Amino acid sequence: MEQEPKKHACSGLVEGDGRVWQELLQQIIPQLYGMFLKSWPNPSLAEELVQKTVFDAVRGRNTFDPEKGSGEEWIFGIARNNIRLEIRKRAARPTVDGDISAYLDVMDTEPLPDELLENKETADIVRTALGQLEEKEQTTLRAMYIEGLSAREIAERMELTEKAVHSILYRARNSLRAKLKQLARLDKQEHDK
Amino acid sequence: MKPENNNLENNISRLVKLAGDSNQPNKAFTDSLINKAIDELSQQLGSTTRERKSKIMTAKKTFKIFAYAASILLVCGVLAAVMMPSFYKVRTQSQLVARLDQLRQDNLQKSSESQRQTLVIVKGEQKGTDSSAASVPLEDTQRENKPLVASDIKAAGSLDKSEELGMLQDKVMAVDRCRAPALVKEPPIKLYCRVPPPIPGSPPMAHGGSVPPNGEDVDAMFFKNYGVNPFIDTEDDHLSTFAMDVDTASYTLVRGYLHDGHMPPNDAVRVEEFVNYFKYNYPAPKKDDFAVYSEASPWQFGADRKNSYLLRLGLKARQISEENRKPAILTFVIDVSGSMAREDRLGLVKKSLRLLIDNLKPDDKIGIAVYETRGRKVMDYKGLVEKDDILATIDSLTTGGSTYAEEGIRIGYEMAERAYKPGYINRVILCTDGVANEGQTGSADILKVIKEKADKGITLSAIGFGMGNYNDVLLEQLGDKGNGHYAYVDTIAEAKRIFEENLTGTLQLIAKDAKIQVDFNPDVVRSYRLIGYENRDVPDEKFRDDKYDGGEVGAGHSVTALYELKLWPEKKGKIATTYVRYKKAETDAVTEFKSEFNTSQLNRGFDDSSKQFRLAATVAEFAEILRNSYWAKGATLEPVLQQAQTLAGEFKDNADVIELVDLVSKAQQLMLKSPAWPVEDSASE
Repeated sequence: MEQEPKKHACSGLVEGDGRVWQELLQQIIPQLYGMFLKSWPNPSLAEELVQKTVFDAVRGRNTFDPEKGSGEEWIFGIARNNIRLEIRKRAARPTVDGDISAYLDVMDTEPLPDELLENKETADIVRTALGQLEEKEQTTLRAMYIEGLSAREIAERMELTEKAVHSILYRARNSLRAKLKQLARLDKQEHDK
Repeated sequence: MKPENNNLENNISRLVKLAGDSNQPNKAFTDSLINKAIDELSQQLGSTTRERKSKIMTAKKTFKIFAYAASILLVCGVLAAVMMPSFYKVRTQSQLVARLDQLRQDNLQKSSESQRQTLVIVKGEQKGTDSSAASVPLEDTQRENKPLVASDIKAAGSLDKSEELGMLQDKVMAVDRCRAPALVKEPPIKLYCRVPPPIPGSPPMAHGGSVPPNGEDVDAMFFKNYGVNPFIDTEDDHLSTFAMDVDTASYTLVRGYLHDGHMPPNDAVRVEEFVNYFKYNYPAPKKDDFAVYSEASPWQFGADRKNSYLLRLGLKARQISEENRKPAILTFVIDVSGSMAREDRLGLVKKSLRLLIDNLKPDDKIGIAVYETRGRKVMDYKGLVEKDDILATIDSLTTGGSTYAEEGIRIGYEMAERAYKPGYINRVILCTDGVANEGQTGSADILKVIKEKADKGITLSAIGFGMGNYNDVLLEQLGDKGNGHYAYVDTIAEAKRIFEENLTGTLQLIAKDAKIQVDFNPDVVRSYRLIGYENRDVPDEKFRDDKYDGGEVGAGHSVTALYELKLWPEKKGKIATTYVRYKKAETDAVTEFKSEFNTSQLNRGFDDSSKQFRLAATVAEFAEILRNSYWAKGATLEPVLQQAQTLAGEFKDNADVIELVDLVSKAQQLMLKSPAWPVEDSASE
């Protein structure tokens, strides 16, 4: 890590002092997230890895040794280890070819591979598809998945009932899927030419 | 429509995230992760401390245990010598009892008597019944006193079963284990079991029964097993009678379970409340109090059951416009005991009350009583001119103390009695999680008071809040005896449904003690089974007894009842006559009308039926599977999900139906995960 982490959070970590941990996590989660995002431009993966790192740290807090460095450095060590593990996992997986539409066809039943999400093309297609949805659907999807709001919070913000939010979400997911497929097909046709 | 599932949702979530511009995690993610981490820490700390303590305790105890062990061994030896003969005696007796039970049930199932007549048979006249008929299923649920040794007994096969029964009965004279079964297959055994303390993240525990909840573990949920209606041959009993029910609490409760990622306890599922949660848009009658909408189609549900028909009886009560609603005097009795602080239940109560107040009319009046360790009046009746005062009072409520429900309810009724005005809606609205732990905690006493007041014109609505420490049984009975209704509020959206969208229906009744009697034509119908309404059973002969309690129906409410039918092949003519009897809420005048349904009105196939019909069928199937009904054996949620998805397309933008798709899919995933949800397929009807 380039930036120098603050070296205050040492005592209380092993003991599991809630306040110390809270302070440390508040500060370090954004940094971890940025670190993972730099390795793979894939926000959901970054979240997953941050979560794994935090729980590795909480569960293995007995391994923290203040002599060897600060709490931040220790957690960054765990994070780097998780990056190595992820690289190793990926090496074992088949490569993803460029045809997005084939994957989108089975997105109802199969998780999309991370590698596909990390293609620049995929991100472009998602942005375009989102932009073509109805305003309300777009706002709801963004609020739900990008901002991480709950349906209740979205309902309050948009002055709707929670049920209405669920029904918008339901429709939005379906229309986004349709749009994505349509765009991916067009993209493929262009490539084929 | 493509199936909606977790994979799709996850994929969409991951894709949409790609469109975010920030290289920072969102606040919700960070906050929730920190909370989870802190939770994990405190749990680990908690368990370490417990472990340490228990180690010390164990060491101390070890020595004591050794000391006691020797003496206990000695005593045991002596006791064993003394007790062996009497133990053997008890064991033999319980084997006899078990065998007797088994034979009784065999005979019950084959008996050609009606449900209630069956009871009489059980009490002594079984010797003559024929036991050679095809075997009839027996739903074996969480039965208390289940004979422990039943499986040990290989009955002497050569004996005729009825003879054997007679002999056994003679042998076990002293033991009368006959319970009064309202239903043949599963007598409504009152069942309580102790539950262990909750594990964080585990589902709220459930059990049913009627003993007072005092001393029960805090997270116990109270439900009751009312059994499942059997198929009845029309030759035995061609009348089916039940009280109307417009409650919907069971559906919202189960929704809560599924949203939290848990399968609901079977007893939490009441099929009729599932079916009645949905709006079927039956046209409301203009002049009459009720309109009846009957429809029937071929129906395939459950394994090995072919050639069934589903008959739907839909009743719609007259609508009353908001302006024509009678003015109301509402007395809120609010539980502010400690348990109401959990999950901010009181917060939801407050929000719900605000909603209600926003929808009241100038003539309406509100009074408030609360209870915790003691009950007290907190606000005398005020109208909307003093709205600010009312809101301030509501906001000032805080939680604490134990639960003296009896005193709270008594004070509420005293207030309501003093404020009583004829021509008004006089209603006590109880908002609680339903567990009383001070004063009269047994439901019988409270129910008696409530019934008396209801007869005088003060009705009661029981509104349930909160999961865990929740008494479904008591609240349902309160709403029933109080001539009001019972609803469960899990979200503010549900509160809106009750207090905003349907306030007139919630408050103003059209019919009291409403009962339905369906008279099946034995020439056309071979057998029938009422789906749900198990705890609304009314003896056939009480149908025209106007003192006998029925159900209450509010303005614009609809009631849907479903029957599974077996018809005689090739027979034409009248299938059933439906009689509806009720007291007009305004005048108490008893009214009765009938409606007939013929084979000529049958739909050719299930797909030819109206979408409302298919929705009711789908919801009933969902409920039957969730409650693990005997009749759902061999049925899976897959076709239910498909039907629900088709319906979601047909009922455009109907949030209820869309939510149903979501719930069925959630339940399906939970059932796949949980091996504790076997749907056995053995016997047939």
